[in-house]
Amino acid sequence: MASFGWKRKAGERVSKSVVQQFEAEAEKAEEVDEQTQDEKVDWLHAIKRRREVLLEDCGAKSKRLKDEGALLAEQGRHWEAIKKWDEAIHLTPDDPLLYEMKSQVLTILQEVFPAVRAAETAVKFRPLWWEGWQTLGRAQLNLGEVDLAVRSFQVAIHLCPSECKLWQEDLAWAWRIQKQHLATKEKIRQEEETKKQILNAPELEQDYDFESDEVLDACVAVAERQTHYEKLKQTAVVIDSEGNIQNVVSGEQGSDNTETPLKEQFVKIRGL
Amino acid sequence: MSTQYSILFKQEHAHDDAIWTAAWGKSEADGSETIVTGSLDDTVKVWKWSDEKLELQWTLEGHQLGVVSVDISHNGAIAASSSLDAHIRLWDLESGKQIKSMDAGPVDAWTIAFSPDSKYIATGSHLGKVNIFGVESGKKEYSLDTRGKFILSIAYSPDGKYLASGAIDGIINIFDIATGKLLHTLEGHAMPIRSLTFSPDSQLLVTASDDGYIKIYDVQHANLAGTLSGHGSWVLNVAFSPDDTHFVSSSSDKSVKVWDASSRACINTFFDHQDQVWTVKYNSTGSKIISAGDDRAIHIYDCPM
Repeated sequence: MASFGWKRKAGERVSKSVVQQFEAEAEKAEEVDEQTQDEKVDWLHAIKRRREVLLEDCGAKSKRLKDEGALLAEQGRHWEAIKKWDEAIHLTPDDPLLYEMKSQVLTILQEVFPAVRAAETAVKFRPLWWEGWQTLGRAQLNLGEVDLAVRSFQVAIHLCPSECKLWQEDLAWAWRIQKQHLATKEKIRQEEETKKQILNAPELEQDYDFESDEVLDACVAVAERQTHYEKLKQTAVVIDSEGNIQNVVSGEQGSDNTETPLKEQFVKIRGL
Repeated sequence: MSTQYSILFKQEHAHDDAIWTAAWGKSEADGSETIVTGSLDDTVKVWKWSDEKLELQWTLEGHQLGVVSVDISHNGAIAASSSLDAHIRLWDLESGKQIKSMDAGPVDAWTIAFSPDSKYIATGSHLGKVNIFGVESGKKEYSLDTRGKFILSIAYSPDGKYLASGAIDGIINIFDIATGKLLHTLEGHAMPIRSLTFSPDSQLLVTASDDGYIKIYDVQHANLAGTLSGHGSWVLNVAFSPDDTHFVSSSSDKSVKVWDASSRACINTFFDHQDQVWTVKYNSTGSKIISAGDDRAIHIYDCPM
């Protein structure tokens, strides 16, 4: 029993034929009504009828707004398009297409976070739709969420592997950026670790007999670590045009001026 | 021996992301049962099934993108996995070490299947070719051309005579392996075929499609023997029971259904997953079913024998 209706209750005691006759007459009367006066209230179907009319209108109006928005977007009137789609979303809040289109336009407008939100909603409503995942991935990439973007593109490909663009443009591109991120992160980590080791070098924790060679060995070890750190600081992660990752010594402050500060530090440590 | 279908075991959070594929094998050497799963989290996991529970044995790392397909050789010693980075990797299940890594070429590693003698691995490619790799050589040995579209699914017939492939446009091709000839082309579905499987006697071929239907074909005459409906969304995977009378299907409607092959009726529906169920398989005797999917859980079900 989805909704209340007086007919259903009455039906138990009223004979079927009478009800049918009554309804048939009522419908006839209604037809006449519709022809003469549209606004007249339909007493028999009052509740049900009104809801049907409303639902139909929402769908149709939403579709009209969607098309209008698409037209505006094509003409580059992006904010106006979004306004139309927001209205449409208000009428049909579970249409994934609206969110997906909105996300694309928001991405164009560099509204990165709302774009991700819109695409996420689209994917929630239709999880098997690869284009929704593609749009989500692109929005995430714009937001700088490379790992999430790579995941979204993978889901899209898994749903529709024959789509070449997904492989060649979306996933390949996002995956490359992800690798570059990882390379940069790894270098920063290495640098920091070396720096930490210089500051509290394991060699300095031990007591030394200052007459022995051990001291010299320890100093050499510390100095070597410093050289390594200097070198690391001077290299940069460089990505060439083909997307290969290399660690390159940055040009100008080449090898000649590394010697001098190192000697000073070497002496300083010896003074300890 | 159970007398009715029931869920036996659940492994929640088996992976860090969606599970796309699983395989169930039995070791010829010691009779132990191994389950291999592959996931969007880039890992392959090897589980031991003993005393009615799963125990994680190895987490195999090496794939750089999501793992699309896994299979276990028929002697239970080697697992193969393919991923979106277009590599097929072979793993020693005893030691958990990688044996080989084969570059299938961009976009050219999707569903993989061991041949019945486990000497070859077949995989579909985006140009409609079925590439056959040698397990020993680690190289592409030969290929069968369907002249069609992207091949999503592959299956060898257990008698070693046929190889069937299902394409993204719904076309099914059946090859004679001995001659390499294309025997039949069936326009079975209008939508992608994500899975197909032969019956153990190699007489029937069952196909699963995004159109929500499962179709059964008589392999020899290439006749359509039946069309089954019941799933409310894409049918993602099908597997035949070793008892030759049942098969199981999984769908994005979150359900797993067991079907009777002769009456073509659905005899049980499991509604235990929270999300799409990407993979479903029988164990070697047909007494258990495994399923896994987007909810990252592995389920094991009991089947009446």
